[in-house]
Amino acid sequence: MVTEDKKKELLERLKNAVIQYDEDTAKEAAKEVLDVGMNANDAIFNGLVSGMEEVGRLFEAQEYFVPELLMCADALYAGLDILKPHVQQLDLGVKGSVVIGTVEGDVHDIGKNIVKMMFDVAGFTVYDLGRDVPLDKFVEEQLKTDSDLVCLSAMMTTTMVGMKKVIDDLRAKNPNVKIMIGGAPVSQDIAEKWGADGYAKDANNALKDAINMISSLKKLKEEAEARKSR
Amino acid sequence: MTKHRVIFQPSGRRGEVEEGKTLLEAAQSLGVDIEGLCGSKKVCGKCKVRIEEGYFEKDNIESGMSHLSPITEAEKKHIKPEDGPGMRLACTAEIYGDLKVFVPERSRAGKQVIRKAAKELSIAIDPAVKKYNIDLVPPTLHDMATGDYERVLRFLEEDYGIKGLTFDYAALKGLQDALRQGDWKATVTVWMDREIIKVEPGFVETCYGLAVDIGTTTCVGYLTDLNTGKVVNTESMMNPQVPYGEDVMSRITYAMSNPAGLETMQKAIIEGLNEIIERVVSEIKKDGPNPGHAVDDMTIVFNTAMHHIFLGLNPVYIGRSPFIPAVQNSMNIKARDLGIKINPSSYIHVLPIEAGFVGADNVGVLIAEEPYNQDEMVLIIDIGTNGELLLGNRNKVCSTSCATGPAFEGAQIKFGMRAAPGAIEKVQIDPLTKEPLYKVIGKADWHTHLEKVNAKGICGSGIIEIVAEMFKAGIIDKTGRFVVDLDTPRVRRDSEGKPEYVLAWAEETSIGTDITITQGDVRALQLAKGALYTGAKLLMKRLDVAKLDRVVLAGAFGSHIDREASLTLGMFPDCPMDKVYAVGNAAGDGARMALLNKGKRSEANERARWVEFVEIATDPTFEKEFMQAMHIPHMKDKFPNLKAFLEKSGSKVEIKG
Repeated sequence: MVTEDKKKELLERLKNAVIQYDEDTAKEAAKEVLDVGMNANDAIFNGLVSGMEEVGRLFEAQEYFVPELLMCADALYAGLDILKPHVQQLDLGVKGSVVIGTVEGDVHDIGKNIVKMMFDVAGFTVYDLGRDVPLDKFVEEQLKTDSDLVCLSAMMTTTMVGMKKVIDDLRAKNPNVKIMIGGAPVSQDIAEKWGADGYAKDANNALKDAINMISSLKKLKEEAEARKSR
Repeated sequence: MTKHRVIFQPSGRRGEVEEGKTLLEAAQSLGVDIEGLCGSKKVCGKCKVRIEEGYFEKDNIESGMSHLSPITEAEKKHIKPEDGPGMRLACTAEIYGDLKVFVPERSRAGKQVIRKAAKELSIAIDPAVKKYNIDLVPPTLHDMATGDYERVLRFLEEDYGIKGLTFDYAALKGLQDALRQGDWKATVTVWMDREIIKVEPGFVETCYGLAVDIGTTTCVGYLTDLNTGKVVNTESMMNPQVPYGEDVMSRITYAMSNPAGLETMQKAIIEGLNEIIERVVSEIKKDGPNPGHAVDDMTIVFNTAMHHIFLGLNPVYIGRSPFIPAVQNSMNIKARDLGIKINPSSYIHVLPIEAGFVGADNVGVLIAEEPYNQDEMVLIIDIGTNGELLLGNRNKVCSTSCATGPAFEGAQIKFGMRAAPGAIEKVQIDPLTKEPLYKVIGKADWHTHLEKVNAKGICGSGIIEIVAEMFKAGIIDKTGRFVVDLDTPRVRRDSEGKPEYVLAWAEETSIGTDITITQGDVRALQLAKGALYTGAKLLMKRLDVAKLDRVVLAGAFGSHIDREASLTLGMFPDCPMDKVYAVGNAAGDGARMALLNKGKRSEANERARWVEFVEIATDPTFEKEFMQAMHIPHMKDKFPNLKAFLEKSGSKVEIKG
């Protein structure tokens, strides 16, 4: 049985490996987690994801920038690849499934990929439609997968206007679906005007929002566990 | 206190302004110069501004006359019907809602410095339009079977050997009078040895053409003597489409979301061009009803979006993947069809387009620089509102376009401004004390700390120098992050806790506040320069090239950036410092060459098709390359030339060799 001290040390190493974008340490620590028989869920959420939360804070404070963020993501994925096969099915009490893509006419997808990564980490089922996605495809995919969240991204003003059609079509087919939009030309006002539920200003805020979701997810998880143990 | 959002065009300055303030007060607080000779006494009428009506998607602002205090009698006296709709006096109109305000050229106090001067070209003179003097035998009763038209054609064939000419219908209508007025001595203007586009009485020698470069922000026209190749006069102006969107994408969106948007913008640019024509010909012809008709030929370059809007072609499909233009080949369009006020029978020659985002302006650069005639591997960077790259030599040339964003033009930078008097354009920072020295446009000397220099903001070339200097002085590290524990009051945290560097203290400025470079500014520049570097790198990969022999910086802006600063920042891969140089407005040079030498026109068509366009955004390695290219000068790539150069100049900064 793994000691509390060892557990704490490993969690700290995982967290720091992500913050310091150190892929090798992330891999080593993840392997050690499995070797000592520690819970993989715990390692992901309290180690890797904690690290990513701190990265989000640094990004928000403009101390980290896109390159650092992407490198942190690489370190996170390195650890995650090792731990994921050992994750027990999470029963979170919520159904986390999201359709995400960059809208038709737009081939810029770095922002979308960052957001997608965060959903991945959070344990959502992610249906990534990629970039330059025909507008109808979002609606089709949402209906097919019955996802609760649809995320639309655009980097150009010219393609951003396509989001409005997707939002309208989604609302017509499924009034309850949550819609989040983001990308360089999008603003809070536009999100409100077009009737989106959420808005991510840029990679900055997308990450923050995604992390908020993960944090609330973690809370839900804790509550679910507390209920179970009771 | 209620505040409203106010945007001033064309400077793009914006901010929140307290309700009840006048537009002039708002302009002053935002660093926008509006002429005000009378000191707000409502008597000079110099501070006229236009209020834009409607909803503007890009800025998300609803603007209109109803957001101002009602028009006063004093204003009515100054505002004339010919000023057009929406005019107010800035000193009088008070703000009661969000506004988008256009400051017309004549109301601007600090005129923009137009950096598109013409340079000497070496090119064989063989223009598309030539004038031929003809001396006809007057017709008699013995020669009744030959019409004027046929008489002219026969002379041109016999004396000049030009066969098979046609007559422009409008020019034909002036033929009879012209021949008789000049006592059968006349001058015939011929286009491409194919068509007669003008007949003038008497012998006229000088023939004029106009080379035009329409940029997203600046338009310029070079009036050229087609016999000597000399530029007789140059005139420029801000692109009058700026109020409809500062960048290409927002203008395309304007065309998409407003029913008459395309027509409005087309009309604006045609009117603007006609104003340039009127001003530029004042040098050669002062009177007469149509002074512009002295111009018999015109070549024009612009980016693809400006091209489409100018021609009234729907720009929507070039605004979205896969970015397909309506037409790629060059075109010859009668001036009268477009309403351009030069000789109505003459042709406007529109240079060809390479690809959706590599326009006729880049073709201008291509035929001016001729990389296809050289052995050296040369990278040509044309930086405007977008960045276009050409890489190659006589074997092959590739092109691409990078979304650099407007950071290089001073937009999206906290204290960014266009290149105008008061803009900081050059900077040096002492690596030990972190104290700066700077130079503003309009003053010959460098700032010495002691005098008030009335700095107002920072122009694009200034931002590049500042960030490069901050890196060399250790104020930011290679990731672009501020080093905050430096012992200087110049590096501090703003009200949100984000770090910034004070370049000019409030007392040195004309805006009454410290001019700073923020962490956000550094980030915006990293994105822009990272995009350029990634473009260059992926073109090098495409051509399997490991190093560059030469780097050419083109464009009005490219000519003003310091090569050392641009290499230090890593705007492009390593290259010997003495092989980096600026060529000025190469797009405009290309337009002038096509005006002076018709062979250049066919060359442009052939080469525009020969160049291989490479789409970089979809390259599988784009994300990784872009990420690495955002570091200063780069996360991984080595810079042996830069390293040697900086070591020689005594810099302590560490560069990978």
